[in-house]
Amino acid sequence: MKINAKDLASGIFLLVLAGLGLWLNLDHTLGTSRRMGPGYMPMLVFWIEFALGAIVLGMALFSSPDPLEKWLKLDFVTLAAAIVVGLVGYQVIAAIPALEGNWYPLGIALTIALLILAISPGWRVLGLVLAGMNIFGVLLDAGGLFLAIAAMVVIAAFADKEHRPLGVAACVVFLIALCWWVFIYELDIRVNIWPTF
Amino acid sequence: MDLLLSNLAHGFGVAMSFDNLLFALLGALIGTAIGVLPGIGPVATISLLLPITFGQPATTAIIMLAGIYYGAQYGGSTTAILLNLPGEVSSVVTTLEGYKMARNGRAGAALTIAAVGSFFAGSVSTLLVAASGPLLTEVALSFCPADYFSLMLLGLIISAVLAQGSVVKSVAMVVLGVALGLVGTDVQTGQQRFTFGVPELSDGLNFAAMAMGVFGIAEIILNLEKPEVRSVLTAKVGSLFLTKHEWARATPAVLRGTVVGSVLGILPGGGASLASFGSYMMERKMSKGRAEFGNGAIEGVAGPEAANNAAAQTSFIPLLTLGIPSNAVMALMVGALIIQGIQPGPRMVETQPDLFWGLICSMWIGNLMLLVINLPLIGMWVKLLQVPYKYMYPAILTFCAIGVYSINNNVFDVYSTVFFGVLGYVFNKLKMEPAPLLVGFVLGPMMEEHLRRAMLLSRGDPTVFIERPISGVLLAICALALGLMLLPGLRKKKEAAMAG
Repeated sequence: MKINAKDLASGIFLLVLAGLGLWLNLDHTLGTSRRMGPGYMPMLVFWIEFALGAIVLGMALFSSPDPLEKWLKLDFVTLAAAIVVGLVGYQVIAAIPALEGNWYPLGIALTIALLILAISPGWRVLGLVLAGMNIFGVLLDAGGLFLAIAAMVVIAAFADKEHRPLGVAACVVFLIALCWWVFIYELDIRVNIWPTF
Repeated sequence: MDLLLSNLAHGFGVAMSFDNLLFALLGALIGTAIGVLPGIGPVATISLLLPITFGQPATTAIIMLAGIYYGAQYGGSTTAILLNLPGEVSSVVTTLEGYKMARNGRAGAALTIAAVGSFFAGSVSTLLVAASGPLLTEVALSFCPADYFSLMLLGLIISAVLAQGSVVKSVAMVVLGVALGLVGTDVQTGQQRFTFGVPELSDGLNFAAMAMGVFGIAEIILNLEKPEVRSVLTAKVGSLFLTKHEWARATPAVLRGTVVGSVLGILPGGGASLASFGSYMMERKMSKGRAEFGNGAIEGVAGPEAANNAAAQTSFIPLLTLGIPSNAVMALMVGALIIQGIQPGPRMVETQPDLFWGLICSMWIGNLMLLVINLPLIGMWVKLLQVPYKYMYPAILTFCAIGVYSINNNVFDVYSTVFFGVLGYVFNKLKMEPAPLLVGFVLGPMMEEHLRRAMLLSRGDPTVFIERPISGVLLAICALALGLMLLPGLRKKKEAAMAG
């Protein structure tokens, strides 16, 4: 039997999501069809999603094969490690009083998890680009806009192997200047520019 | 007619203000630039610039965003013709004949007819928007909640049916979008739904974060994963003037393209790429030069280029008159309007005449600007292609990050964008089309409200959706559209058409 792996995965994805939605929706009152409560529309939507997921899953068994990209063993390991470290890290960081508020536990845990993910070649680009964006969020408040941009660009630059240090430095300077002009000078957004450690 | 003229005069007054002219030009220029550059499209750009538009008046903001959309149609054709490299999906078919023309030494002629054809089509379709707007608005005002619900359902279904790839998966993406739209406070009872106690989620998921993540960030990752293939070899532009014979062949193609594009643009789920493809198919079957197709037939450039620009304008009709976005770009426009505190819908023509008429007139002005600036600047646009992607993506990333932060001054939105970036990446790997998701997300909350109202009015009787004539007809069209896609022959045809 030929299985369309992409459709199979999509079907499972939809079914899990619909199941999760229906489970979470148990908290909301359904109401009647005349006076719909907050849970009525979610119930309809997630049941439809469930049905569609089942159809996609069923079709996957009979359509032409479309395999997923090959995963290396390392890809599995880093994914599992990233999830575990992210979840544990979140709990640990959340317990540190100095890092309370401003979503620091979420941001830092996510960044660490993404950097772990980036170890394997399959996740390298994904991990580095997203880790760069996360660092921006983590550094913005205390480190200021300029430092946050510099850190983001440097980390994200590792995602493309063609980058050279000089090019990255020029990129950082240019983007800092551009962002100062657009967001600080023209739009005047409320954000720290310099570090306030 | 007099009313239309006075309205248009009012619109020109609005569009000619210094700020609006400046931002129309800015939008057109940005649009052309991203049209030229492969790897970044109008959806990603508009979501990127959404936060920047908050500080502007609504009219100026929409004028700029619209400029990006139709500017991209102009820009996409330049690289398609000169480099055999479609900058946008909508200019894929232009490469077929346009690049052949360039190889025959007629690149200049191809560029000219693309620009002139686009301008002509843009002018005609802008008039169409102006004329049909108030008319459709009157029809829409007689709609009751049940009719609205069915209309939105039709919009969702057609946008799914016309999306690339499997129809079932596209419908599933629409439903997923509606599901994501449920997050937040329930409007009628004030209860928090799916917020997990996060205060930032009580207003719902951040629209800009979602659009940027799924389109902007995910696109960066995917572009970096596949090695860059970009040729810098450019065909000689040659003379920009067309011969008499070429004019004679191109003119009917432009006319046909305008009609096809205008019609396909209005359809929910339609838009520029569908229009250019439709026109190409038509020219290949109908035009006098059909024997030359494949060897640089000018009809194959003139028709599709006119069509994609016409469609870019007319796809504003359902948005401006009914408040229903027909594709992902229009969904972003709805997002921009809602953030500005304007609920898109049939009352917009009355309550926001500046916006409605100003936008229409600025579209025409923007098209004129594009015609004037594009041809002389072709050399500059082509140079833009030499900027390697490794310098572009840090800039896109930076603008995403600051932009999304500046909406609420909250880093939570930055992390949401990261989350949606992962989601967009997964969607791509599983061949799930993300555009219908955005349309579903925008329409979902409105649909829920109309559904609740309709059911309250009918005392819980769902047959109201079939008994109301307007609603019944709309639902029948929904069923028809879905039913047609079940026919294997038609599905194959669609797949062939979408594969380009």
